[in-house]
Amino acid sequence: MRIRRPEPHTLAGAYALDALDGTDRARFERHAARCRECTREVTGLREATARLAAAAAAQPPAALKEALRAETARTRQLPPAARGSGATGRTRPRQGVRRLGVRRLALALGGAAVVAAVTVWVTASLGPPAGQPVASQEIATVLTAPDAVKMTATVRTGGTATIVMSHHDGMLVFAAAGLRQLPPAQHYELWLIGSGRDRPAGRLPTPSHGMTGPVVTAGLRSGDRLGLTVESATGIRRPTTPMILELTL
Amino acid sequence: MSPPRSPWAGAAPGTDHADLAALLARVAVGDRAAFDAMYDRVAAPVFGTVRNVVRDPGLTEEVTQEVFVEVWRAASRFDASKGSPMAWVATIAHRRAVDRVRSEQRSADRDRRAASPMIAYDDVAETVEDNLDRERVRRCLGTLTDLQREAVTLAYYGGHTYREVAGLLGVPAGTVSTRMRDGLIRLRDCLGAGR
Repeated sequence: MRIRRPEPHTLAGAYALDALDGTDRARFERHAARCRECTREVTGLREATARLAAAAAAQPPAALKEALRAETARTRQLPPAARGSGATGRTRPRQGVRRLGVRRLALALGGAAVVAAVTVWVTASLGPPAGQPVASQEIATVLTAPDAVKMTATVRTGGTATIVMSHHDGMLVFAAAGLRQLPPAQHYELWLIGSGRDRPAGRLPTPSHGMTGPVVTAGLRSGDRLGLTVESATGIRRPTTPMILELTL
Repeated sequence: MSPPRSPWAGAAPGTDHADLAALLARVAVGDRAAFDAMYDRVAAPVFGTVRNVVRDPGLTEEVTQEVFVEVWRAASRFDASKGSPMAWVATIAHRRAVDRVRSEQRSADRDRRAASPMIAYDDVAETVEDNLDRERVRRCLGTLTDLQREAVTLAYYGGHTYREVAGLLGVPAGTVSTRMRDGLIRLRDCLGAGR
């Protein structure tokens, strides 16, 4: 199983170098707006990139200064920003509760597969599927948590799982794409694996168009890992088959 | 033409920051003399940075001009608690140059530059002159691993995205983003910049 965790904190360097474009940049800025540590880090790294700029110094043609005099003379200046708002380049409000549209939800989860999964779920949620009912409020809580972390992992028997987790809220959102189709008598079951006994963390709904979930799991404890098994019986208290996914949270 | 005075050289650390911040505060209220003085201080780093990324001389001048109009326009938004004035100006300059290049110049010119990934670093390495910054930056770049240095310079001086850099170096994008971060942290610590 491979765990990919390039999201989004490790992009602070690339962001400070302006090496993110379009979606990547917007995604990082969304993250940084809620991540004080990221903002602080970018600020520090930009002092380093400013030195790269200084090292590249080259004298501009004198005519440029004259041209600028004319240009500034007819350029209106911005008034000071309202308190608390950022410097140039950050115009979006840093705080404030916004309603989560399906698209934003999907964007936050990232990946076309998950976009489809969320869309499917929203469509289906008019009449929630049997098994694990999904509450949009809970999903929103996890996705907008300041400490939300996204992980992607490959399921041993096929498929990719995406998890967004908030340790602070003790919750995670699980969605998967391309899971192997199971016989009708079987289902996928999530587990929280901690120091004590494994705890059942929810039965995955039947996949629709290759997409599974999202489901919300609450009650995370520090040091927990997330597991996935294939089970036949319902209401079991412990896994009866080997883990096909095991993730350190 | 007098040589550019570096915002870093000579004075004790912090002094120049304070000077430049004071100039920006005056620019924010429309002080043209302050704007001229500020320009003299930062024009060379801005022009050099833009030129590195943009390359084309005409476009370099155009973008440099846009950068200074933006500095004039947004001077009131400079916030000293969010970094030094030089970092603020350099960020505007580099961002503007990179955005311009990405929207306009997807041509053979960029591909040609892409084919020689070390050129940016060599530019820095070989034109030492009397520039104290350049010497120090060059030395600190030398403390980075090859991959860190290439990732940082290709992005900053070449204006490439980290995904492009990954393609150029034949390394996974995730690795590149990590090296960029590690490399910048090391550079920052070596230069004694930030914090």
